[in-house]
Amino acid sequence: MTAQPQVPAPPVPAPSQQPRRAVRAAISVLIALHVLAVFIGPWAMPPQTSELAVTCARIFQPYLEIMGLANGYRFFAPEPGPSHLVRYEITRDDGQQIEGVFPDRQQHKPRLLYHRYFMLSEFINTLENPSGPPNNLQAYSQSYAEHLMHEHQAQSIKLYLRRHYIPRMSEVREGMKLTDKRLYEEHPLVIHKPDAP
Amino acid sequence: MVLFKSVQTWFAEVVKAWNQFWFEPTDPATLGLVRICAGAMLFYTHLVWSLDLTAFFGPQSWLSSEAVRQLQADTYTWSYFWWLESPAALWTAHIAALIVFAMLTVGLFTRVVSVLAFIAALSYVGRVPGALFGLDQINVMLAMYLAVGPSGAAFSLDRWLKSRRAGVPLPVEPSWSANVVIRLIQVHMCIIYLFAGTAKLVGPAWWDGTALWMAMGNMEYQSLDMTWLANWPRLINLMTHVTIVWEVFYCALVWPRLTRPLVLLLAIPLHMGIAICLGMVTFGLVMLIGNLAFVSPSLVRSLLNWRCSSQGRAGGRELGAGSGSLSKPRRPAAVASQKKR
Repeated sequence: MTAQPQVPAPPVPAPSQQPRRAVRAAISVLIALHVLAVFIGPWAMPPQTSELAVTCARIFQPYLEIMGLANGYRFFAPEPGPSHLVRYEITRDDGQQIEGVFPDRQQHKPRLLYHRYFMLSEFINTLENPSGPPNNLQAYSQSYAEHLMHEHQAQSIKLYLRRHYIPRMSEVREGMKLTDKRLYEEHPLVIHKPDAP
Repeated sequence: MVLFKSVQTWFAEVVKAWNQFWFEPTDPATLGLVRICAGAMLFYTHLVWSLDLTAFFGPQSWLSSEAVRQLQADTYTWSYFWWLESPAALWTAHIAALIVFAMLTVGLFTRVVSVLAFIAALSYVGRVPGALFGLDQINVMLAMYLAVGPSGAAFSLDRWLKSRRAGVPLPVEPSWSANVVIRLIQVHMCIIYLFAGTAKLVGPAWWDGTALWMAMGNMEYQSLDMTWLANWPRLINLMTHVTIVWEVFYCALVWPRLTRPLVLLLAIPLHMGIAICLGMVTFGLVMLIGNLAFVSPSLVRSLLNWRCSSQGRAGGRELGAGSGSLSKPRRPAAVASQKKR
């Protein structure tokens, strides 16, 4: 008769218990405050918001911002709109002219990196909002310009915001392409030239 | 007196329901699965920064420190990247963060790396406002909850090592803190969809049913040409209306057992549609990871056990096999008896 190998029996699971009453009470308070903060974050997010929401948000502002919770979660709201790109014209120190647009599907791969560049150009558009502080638009446009100038050893640069509208369904049915020139418009953001001697 | 008694009874029932909702110990299997998926997403998301790290985080960044500080004036947003000036320091911190995210994914030293992963994820977000989108918000949210809860208690190397040291298969240990964290993710997801949905209600395109066309007809988002749907306007109307109804009512319909499967199943085409048609694969997937919090631990275990046992037949061996967390048809009484979420 062969001896059966001894297999150690698995320990009996610990009985499932809720925490003690005091612990429960303390954690309940923290949970309630946290959930309230999570709700207030998007509730108080501009543009559509009430004075009550803004007042509440002021109380929770440090917590929301430190924990990265100050978000609106308004994905594709109020509705999907035209997209925005940044076009640039660069004159290098050696006189060479360079033109480009970002985001650029060919240059920025994988798709997530493309999306990072796409958000850079979209962000400039959100700063153009008349209710926002105008200095941010200027500071960010300048920042993009300085980055490109440094990258290309440029002496001057012009930056444009290009808006790409979406055709209606009826227009596409009639043969309009998404790349139709009539769907684009652009205006200057920054013109940076070397200081006059 | 009767009124007082009724209020007292009602209050006691509320407290009981509250305690059951938040503190009923649960199998940490769902949290373990969320950790694996969110950790992998954090790793990939930050790995992609490597392709242009200095362009976004270096001293000559797209987003200069002056511009970002001006935007973040009077806020508490923070980032450790402000102290990393040289490319060497930047790359060291970046590689360290990638290691932390990888360790979180496999569940090695989870207690420590989950906190470090949250700090790292926050720091990336704090340095590059303007290059962010919904993906980053959900990444940070999930990293925060993983740092709070016992995210390494199931399907982790920690668990496997513990079992190996003990020399016996460890039983599933139901945990109230795992329940708290899973509940917090669930509630957070409800709040996200509530505001994502209600914010759309002021957009005319969500009412006239053309909003999804505006997403599909946006060439910069487009990764799959769906413009042929212009010939099917009523189908686009239907998809638009279903999307907004789903988002607005998600917070109510995801709780009843009757409607939950439908709500969760609808999340798949909705988010995969965003992923495939709008080129936002990472965003679509991270939203689905958030939805995983609603999947019951018993279902998670049965799915992973099935996978484990089918691989076992083929001679394969998976993480945690033999530790009692993945391998077993045996289910501890404490878990088997608990109510489904």
